[in-house]
Amino acid sequence: MSGKIAIVGAGPSGCYLAQSLLKAAPDLEVDLIDALPVPYGLVRYGVAADHQGTKAVTRQFARVFERQGARFFGCLRLGDDVALEDLRAAYDAVVLATGMPVDRPLGIPGDDLAGVFGAGRLTRALYDHPDAETLPELGAHPLIVGNGNVAIDLLRLLAKDPDELAGSDLGAGPTDWLAGAGIESLTITGRSPAAAAKFDPVMIKELAKLGGVSIDVVGTGASDEPDAVKTLDALASIAGHGSGARNVTFRFGLTPAEVIGSQGQVRAVRFTSDAGDETIPCTSVLTAIGFDADPDLPRDALLESATDAGAGALAPGLYATGWFRRGPRGTIPENRADAQALATHILDDLTADPAKPGRAIFEGRTGLVDYDGWCRIDAAETEALPEGRCRAKITTREEMTRLASKGVTTG
Amino acid sequence: MNISILYGTETGNAEMLAEDIQSELEGDHDVSCQNLSDVDPMSLVPEHLYLLVCSTYGDGELPASAQPFAEAMEAAKPDLSAIHFAIFGMGDSEYDETFNHGPKRLAELMLAHGATQIGERVAHDASGPEMAEDLAFPWAEEIISQAEERLGAAA
Ligand SMILES: Cc1cc2nc3c(=O)[nH]c(=O)nc-3n(C[C@H](O)[C@H](O)[C@H](O)COP(=O)(O)OP(=O)(O)OC[C@H]3O[C@@H](n4cnc5c(N)ncnc54)[C@H](O)[C@@H]3O)c2cc1C
Ligand SMILES: Cc1cc2nc3c(=O)[nH]c(=O)nc-3n(C[C@H](O)[C@H](O)[C@H](O)COP(=O)(O)O)c2cc1C
Repeated sequence: MSGKIAIVGAGPSGCYLAQSLLKAAPDLEVDLIDALPVPYGLVRYGVAADHQGTKAVTRQFARVFERQGARFFGCLRLGDDVALEDLRAAYDAVVLATGMPVDRPLGIPGDDLAGVFGAGRLTRALYDHPDAETLPELGAHPLIVGNGNVAIDLLRLLAKDPDELAGSDLGAGPTDWLAGAGIESLTITGRSPAAAAKFDPVMIKELAKLGGVSIDVVGTGASDEPDAVKTLDALASIAGHGSGARNVTFRFGLTPAEVIGSQGQVRAVRFTSDAGDETIPCTSVLTAIGFDADPDLPRDALLESATDAGAGALAPGLYATGWFRRGPRGTIPENRADAQALATHILDDLTADPAKPGRAIFEGRTGLVDYDGWCRIDAAETEALPEGRCRAKITTREEMTRLASKGVTTG
Repeated sequence: MNISILYGTETGNAEMLAEDIQSELEGDHDVSCQNLSDVDPMSLVPEHLYLLVCSTYGDGELPASAQPFAEAMEAAKPDLSAIHFAIFGMGDSEYDETFNHGPKRLAELMLAHGATQIGERVAHDASGPEMAEDLAFPWAEEIISQAEERLGAAA
């Protein structure tokens, strides 16, 4: 089967989709377009620096380019560098796989005070995303709001001693920042009772490996429901762990009502709970309560008018997958299942129009990064390794594009 | 030799390795490669050597694509006493307490239904320095030579 397909977003969803499409129809022309000079989305910039095993899926994605013939077009931002209408005119099918990158705000008074930071903003900075803001001062007593896996990732990273990051790809800047952050305590709060907390129990058990902390788990309650039992058992297994200087406290059933500040700076968060109001002092508030769509892309309108949103069909020749379609929930395997189902759907629909130019519309464009360019960046990041690190990420777009500099070859 | 590679995967690493093993062995043997999710445990045949490639998920559990196979086996209780298999595991030593428990469970399930295991279960560690194929290719060669001795090259 022939046909030209553009997938916008080279994160796991886009890569799995390209893999499935090309497995079923090796003659397709599949192009993965990304706003960044580098592929792999949140596998590179979200999955924790100390969870390298999870990042091993990138070996599969490399195959998609190296053996299955997909092409990478980095530094092409949909909306800025290319319009959706132009892509749809050039390709037989266009798939949006651009994820959900924007931190969801708390939506309570004071959530805009200095010292309130979203998990996306922080993890992008920690993992050297080229568009990240700088790493902020958190003070001695950060408070994390949220009980998902992202909140636990953040908690674990901030609770680690420098030697516990051996084998990771945490960069030199973030490593120094963390060592000098002066964190004395970390409190993490969830709105639900412990039994309904969303984090994976395995992520909780992992905290028992931390050497520099002492962990308190307050007010867990009880449940007979099997999933809840796993969660409660995991929490029980870390309660009282360690006698390190850095205290970690888990709290549940607390709904944030107001971030309290003075002189424009966070001082505390007031919560409501079944037991009445409670105010917890803190030096910064780190929110990990979900993500929203990039406001530059008309996600809501596209999903509302979709022919079959559940299947990822937005309009004739236009599809969506991954977090962009499903919302900011779900792990890498869920994106794989989603992409595999969508690939079948696209191939059923596909009618190739040989007159469509496909990737030829990018011919002559300068500043793009192709897969070979990414390989040069990758080589530079892995050839001279600092002690205890498996990768030293290039941190700026300028340096990335310079390293990739031979540019895109079209044809 | 007739070789059936069956993989159980969650994020696709075991599938990629299974396909790599297939390409590696294809020159010398008749090799097929299937997802465990598409395999009925009642359909296994004595003429084939089964190479199982399986990862681990959750808290030492079988990956999603191996679960229907395991459930079908527990429900149908097939007699596998004429079946020979070997198993290669994929896991991550970050999960130290449940490292490679998925393939361990799968092997135990096969053994519990009478199948004969050939060779040792070898485990890849996603946090380790080795590439899965660098462990798996020599493992497959070794398994096949043991199988040829035991079953005769005619199998
Ligand atoms: C902090 C964090 C940690 C996580 N840790 C894990 C984990 O350990 N294990 C796990 O299984 N899951 C984890 N997840 C979930 C996992 O990352 C997601 O399920 C997955 O990344 C979603 O894939 P996606 O391809 O839909 O989106 P993304 O990974 O976000 O990829 C979207 C891609 O689109 C590009 N893009 C965005 N806008 C545009 C545009 N306008 N034009 C062109 N390109 C664009 C982006 O640059 C990016 O490369 C984590 C998520 C977060 C936020
Ligand atoms: C959420 C999660 C849980 C995991 N649990 C285990 C585990 O308990 N034991 C283990 O050895 N490996 C575990 N792993 C590691 C995987 O088995 C390993 O990454 C493997 O390469 C995945 O192969 P697959 O893509 O074929 O599923 C886990 C990985 C993830 C992401």
